Amino acid sequence: MKRIIGRLGYMLIVLIVSSIAVFYAIRLSGGDATAAALPGSATEEFRQEFRASIGLDRPIYLQYFAYMGKILRGDPGRSITNNASLIEMLKTHGKNSLILGGAAFALVFVIGIPLGVLASLRRNSWADHGIMSFSVIGMAIPNFWLALLAVWLFASTLRILPAAGCCSPKQLILPAIVLAFEGIALTVRMTRSAMIENQNNDFVRTLRAGGLSEWRVMGKHVLRNALIPIISLAGLRIGQIVGYALIVEQIFGWPGIGQALVTAVLRRDYPVAQFFSLILVVLVVLGNWLADTGYTLANPRLRRSK
Amino acid sequence: MNQTVHDELVEIRDLRISIHSEGSFFEVVKGVSLSIRANEIVCLVGESGCGKSITALSVMGLLPADVAGVTGGEIFYRGQSLLGLSPREMRRVRSEEIAMIFQDPTTSLDPVFTIGSLLKEVIRAHRDVSRSEAEELAVRALEEAQLPDARKRLRSYPHELSGGMRQRVMIALATALNPAVLIADEPTTALDVTVQAQILESLRTRQKERKMGMLLITHDLAVVAAVADRVAVMYSGEIVEEASVNDLFDNPKHPYTQGLLGAIPDITARRGALHAIPGRVPPPQVTPPGCEFAPRCAHSIESCWEEHPVLLPTSVGKLRCINPQPYST
Ligand SMILES: Nc1ncnc2c1ncn2[C@@H]1O[C@H](COP(=O)(O)OP(=O)(O)O)[C@@H](O)[C@H]1O
Ligand SMILES: [Mg+2]
Repeated sequence: MKRIIGRLGYMLIVLIVSSIAVFYAIRLSGGDATAAALPGSATEEFRQEFRASIGLDRPIYLQYFAYMGKILRGDPGRSITNNASLIEMLKTHGKNSLILGGAAFALVFVIGIPLGVLASLRRNSWADHGIMSFSVIGMAIPNFWLALLAVWLFASTLRILPAAGCCSPKQLILPAIVLAFEGIALTVRMTRSAMIENQNNDFVRTLRAGGLSEWRVMGKHVLRNALIPIISLAGLRIGQIVGYALIVEQIFGWPGIGQALVTAVLRRDYPVAQFFSLILVVLVVLGNWLADTGYTLANPRLRRSK
Repeated sequence: MNQTVHDELVEIRDLRISIHSEGSFFEVVKGVSLSIRANEIVCLVGESGCGKSITALSVMGLLPADVAGVTGGEIFYRGQSLLGLSPREMRRVRSEEIAMIFQDPTTSLDPVFTIGSLLKEVIRAHRDVSRSEAEELAVRALEEAQLPDARKRLRSYPHELSGGMRQRVMIALATALNPAVLIADEPTTALDVTVQAQILESLRTRQKERKMGMLLITHDLAVVAAVADRVAVMYSGEIVEEASVNDLFDNPKHPYTQGLLGAIPDITARRGALHAIPGRVPPPQVTPPGCEFAPRCAHSIESCWEEHPVLLPTSVGKLRCINPQPYST
């Protein structure tokens, strides 16, 4: 318990530091915000006035505090290109991203763990070799390329799935699989090696000596032990999915946070870019915290430690 | 097969076990015969690596299948061959008929499940009982293994218990289903010296109460002297001498046994070391034509190097030596 709470404090620090980093990065690299909001014919005076009206003329650290204050009050502001409320944008794009990311996250484990277990139980069989080759490919192939390949195969050639769009279950399939692919490949590997490692544990012999079936020994005890490292790295999968979502949402025209962020950066819509970057950072940090919590809960040796 | 009641619960007959690892293939158990009767403790002693654990595991059908296999001989339980049993039948034998306790209680228990859930799982794998009935059986087994606060301990994880307590859990696990035979492979070696005696006493109490046949593997001669009825001495994959504990300690015939006993100046000393015999166990890959022990034997004669001695009955037991010497201390 202490460990979980201690981690919470650590997470807060990471959040604060990374919010500062994001804020500076966007401000320093975002280019001239007035270019996005004002017509090219606007005079320099007018631009100055505009900057002052939204606080851009103040020192950057003051801007940061003002900005964080607004965020914490639940008012992140509006887009400077189309005046859309960021809260509203977060709701719609966030929901879409949650659907896609959630589906991908689930796929990582629902597909990855059983395949890994199968490979470990049929070690050196054709099933094992097949699964492991698939896993090597899954880790080697770049995400965007896989996306294009999937679109070409399933949408253009076989015509069984839509190439892009949102948000029917059919439209979800391709982006979710592409987003999950590397995670699945990694999970297969980790599951297989963790299963094999745990099969050599002394306790396996004890369980067999107790007359338990192989199914119980492997499917319950060895798997449960093998899951500890997999659960502990689940948070990294969240981070990975968040990162890849930027590309995958773009390719599949899935209107999630990633897509909104990319669009905003291209348009120099810094309030949107800043806000959604922050959201992504929060997601990644939260993922890591969840992972640690999961690891602690999954491992009785940590759970009860005082 | 005759109709007499089988005096021997377990009978190992001319057992051969080979190891195949990293391209090499060699015998580590070379024709071992040994029996365990009800209500007796048989001690199997010998230096590390001589094949004691492998022999015990083969009785349980638990040889690591990828490296070891039985290549000859038979193992009977109450007259029935164990080697021919299906996996399912063998699972029933394990812990219902023959149970085993291992050396290291730290690694022998699944760390992510509680003691209670482990015991209940094993009990329910063999007995058609409800969860609460299984729990009662688990508590009773723990109490009989003298684990303090047995009921409370059901919810403990292995890491929350001391080494001695874990070994009591192992004893409870092994005896929960009332097996006729208990195999204990160095059950106290990994424990603190202070708890070794207690655990051994617990084991012996359980064995006497239930009239179990027990095979106790150890290299602690003080333990042997304290609990054994019969002793089999193993050297390099073979039994070299077997006798009742008194005969063996009073009048050991095999030079190896004599060496083992000579290695402890006083049998009542807490711990006996077995490694004081000059030389070491030959690697199992190398099989000399004569007696395996000849290279280390002070009394070897020429024929010891030429012909492999057989295990022959003596007035008090069995002996594999063509030039036995009277024992003097
Ligand atoms: N898993 C294994 N892989 C390779 N060799 C093994 C394995 N287990 C045992 N052996 C070999 O078998 C022999 C007997 O081992 P073991 O029965 O464990 O000895 P003991 O219990 O008498 O110390 C040893 O020489 C050891 O090298
Ligand atoms: Mg051993």
